[in-house]
Amino acid sequence: MTGDAAWYEAAFVVGITNALNVVADGLDEALPPLDEDATPDCRALFDEIRAFYGGAAVPVPFRVLARDPSYAADVWAAARRAFADGRLPRRLKAALAFAVSMTTRSRFGIAFHLGEMRRLGVGERGVMEIVGVTQMFSSYTKIADTLQLAPDMADLAPEDPTPAPGA
Amino acid sequence: MPTVRLRDASEYPEPARRLFELSKQWFGVDFKQPPAMSRVMAWDLAFGGPHGRAMKRAMAPGEFTRAEKEMVAAAVSGVNACEY
Repeated sequence: MTGDAAWYEAAFVVGITNALNVVADGLDEALPPLDEDATPDCRALFDEIRAFYGGAAVPVPFRVLARDPSYAADVWAAARRAFADGRLPRRLKAALAFAVSMTTRSRFGIAFHLGEMRRLGVGERGVMEIVGVTQMFSSYTKIADTLQLAPDMADLAPEDPTPAPGA
Repeated sequence: MPTVRLRDASEYPEPARRLFELSKQWFGVDFKQPPAMSRVMAWDLAFGGPHGRAMKRAMAPGEFTRAEKEMVAAAVSGVNACEY
């Protein structure tokens, strides 16, 4: 994974995954998701979301956010951009989101991104690979933090000298 | 400042030093000293051994490449707010 572009993509996936999980898990009782038919202002948005996810139901966070259609549309635009194929394939992005959701114990995120991984062709072996990586690094990170280890492997990869996109 | 004094590789017994050689091969880097985490895990080979094997098994190429898994590991570490 050389070059910064892939890492920017990964970071955006991590960020927006957490943002969607926070809404889905944190607001499900206080601000329950709206029915897809009860939000005519979001019809086009919901159609687009359904198409992106292979025709499945609109994910919970977008139905919560549909109370403010303009805001929901912006969040969706960011999420779509983050999860679309780019330098990183969509299946890897789903795996990243699944790992992040496991790490943050998001019930919504775990179920949703596990479903996305499977829909995108990841088999049970692949799912268990991501479970293993997530579990092992949840262990390593806590051991390192408990012993307050200083980073000693951060300089292994060469710096990417390329400018920002569009420069 | 680490909570413990990290021992040089030379302060470890032979079985642990063999583990450090494997660590070099795994990372493909000729470290002056093994990474701190390798030295921590070598402290108790009855723990570090199986833990390391589980990690290698998890990180080995399969449906996902090693590079893809390193990225997942970085994301998990970031979410855990781990600087190491």
